[in-house]
Amino acid sequence: MKNSLRHIFVIAGNTFTEAIRQKVLYVLVVFCLIMLGGSSFYTQFDFRGDDFKFMKDLAYAAISVIGLLVSLLGAAMLIPAELEKRTIYTLLSKPVRKFEFIVGKYLGLVLLLTLFVTLMAGIFMLAVWGHESSLTAGILKASQGHPTEFQQQMINEFRAGAYDPAMWQALVLIWAKLCLVTVISVLFSTVASSTVFIVSCTLFIYLIGHLQSVARDFWFSQSGGASWLTTAFLAAVSLFIPDFQTFNLIDEIISGNPVLWQNTWHILLYSAVYTVIALAVSALLFENREL
Amino acid sequence: MNEQDFAVGASGLTKTFTLEWTRKKLLALDGLDMQVRRGEVFGLLGPNGSGKSTTMKLILGLIRPTSGMIKVFGEPSGSLASRRQLGFLPENPYFPGFLSAREVLNYYGKLVDLCGKQLRERVEELIELVGLPLAADRALKTYSKGMLQRIGLAQALLHDPDLLLLDEPTAGVDPIGSRQIRDLILALKKRGKTIIFSSHLLEQVQEVSDRVIILHRGKKMQEGTLDELLSVQGQSQFTVSGLTPELQEKVAALLKSEGAELVNVSHPKQKLEDYFIRSVSK
Repeated sequence: MKNSLRHIFVIAGNTFTEAIRQKVLYVLVVFCLIMLGGSSFYTQFDFRGDDFKFMKDLAYAAISVIGLLVSLLGAAMLIPAELEKRTIYTLLSKPVRKFEFIVGKYLGLVLLLTLFVTLMAGIFMLAVWGHESSLTAGILKASQGHPTEFQQQMINEFRAGAYDPAMWQALVLIWAKLCLVTVISVLFSTVASSTVFIVSCTLFIYLIGHLQSVARDFWFSQSGGASWLTTAFLAAVSLFIPDFQTFNLIDEIISGNPVLWQNTWHILLYSAVYTVIALAVSALLFENREL
Repeated sequence: MNEQDFAVGASGLTKTFTLEWTRKKLLALDGLDMQVRRGEVFGLLGPNGSGKSTTMKLILGLIRPTSGMIKVFGEPSGSLASRRQLGFLPENPYFPGFLSAREVLNYYGKLVDLCGKQLRERVEELIELVGLPLAADRALKTYSKGMLQRIGLAQALLHDPDLLLLDEPTAGVDPIGSRQIRDLILALKKRGKTIIFSSHLLEQVQEVSDRVIILHRGKKMQEGTLDELLSVQGQSQFTVSGLTPELQEKVAALLKSEGAELVNVSHPKQKLEDYFIRSVSK
């Protein structure tokens, strides 16, 4: 058990190092930084006081989309590369179990996503702080350091909009969503060797996952009218595909609607359970795969 | 002898691959019986596609036999117990190019459960052994094929295994490096290690192997010690200095009178490899 954990952490560390030395990652990160850094630039247009909502919209969209590419490509590139370059032969000639390899690879990618989301959140915070400071400074300058009650209220509103604690909730949910996409990508990479195939299948599951709740509701509500094929399809979608619709809470948070942390914890627990099951299935499939 | 006395014991080992699209069956290994004794250097010979790599993969447990059985030191192949006792150098080894030799050895060292001072010392010892102390901190993507081969050998030796599987260990290595690897194999044999290796360089196999097996299209064609396989029965060979043409005639006449026949008289030749190494080391 102790050795297994050690092997998993060693493989995770190596995967993380390998991933952060991929040039494609830097291209994605730079692209994301440009979007985040530029978010304060766009606020020079009139957003009728919704500057920070616009900035959040743009930032969360950038982190989600670029993060999705990182998680899709991460497993789809790194695991087949181990097979193609036959480094896996050297690795599995050591007393390393196949499940340790799979879990280690996944955790390495989770580490990468954690770094990515943290870095992007930091840059976003800087952009928000910069914009809030310039707005506040503008008001203070106009009032020569003595804002009226109305101006002080405006400053308070800017600060409340800028430093909304619910922002962390949204970032945690984005991170959890990306980890869930990664585990699906890992699952496909245990049975396939083509990066294009793995990315396509994962993307397909990701898209269907947004309709999972519709399929589930329909499956529960149907009263014998549907054919067995439809029922089987709906059951398969409901049981095996994660419900990505549940992450729409992120949109609620961006819109400024209060979302309980309890709901966030439920989603995290749901993601964790799905991840454990998906990793177990991946390990089982990989165990039976001939190399 | 029981199975514990063999480093590797295989009987009736058969492996069939199913081609992905056509579902055609491809027989890669056909009923191989093979016993490798502890402490011997065992050569796997055969042309491309003869089943050498399949045999290696079966010993490692990377693939499962279609039928037959294979054990490593009495343990099922692929089990953790068997993998703890073996080191593997793949053909044309590839390692993460972004890591340096020292980082790669540290990485694999941790996977064979070395840590702390023991790991650091072992890594330094092996870097020295394979002759790469000056390049140990360079990224592996800058390494030549021969240098990668040496790092491959070093990672196979990390946990001082009793059995070494070397798939084409001298492929891409220059003659000096090749000689060093050959010397290393012999030094490891002296320390009681078992070595199974495959090579296309027959002369090299001849120099280090105790026994060889010749495979062709998945079937075992020959097996035995080199003496058994290569000695020309009924003929003897002398190496003489100061043999003048007159003396040669006398020897031939004597041999004829005793009912023997002089088959060939020639000058012994030194090996090109020896000649090359002496030339470049001047």
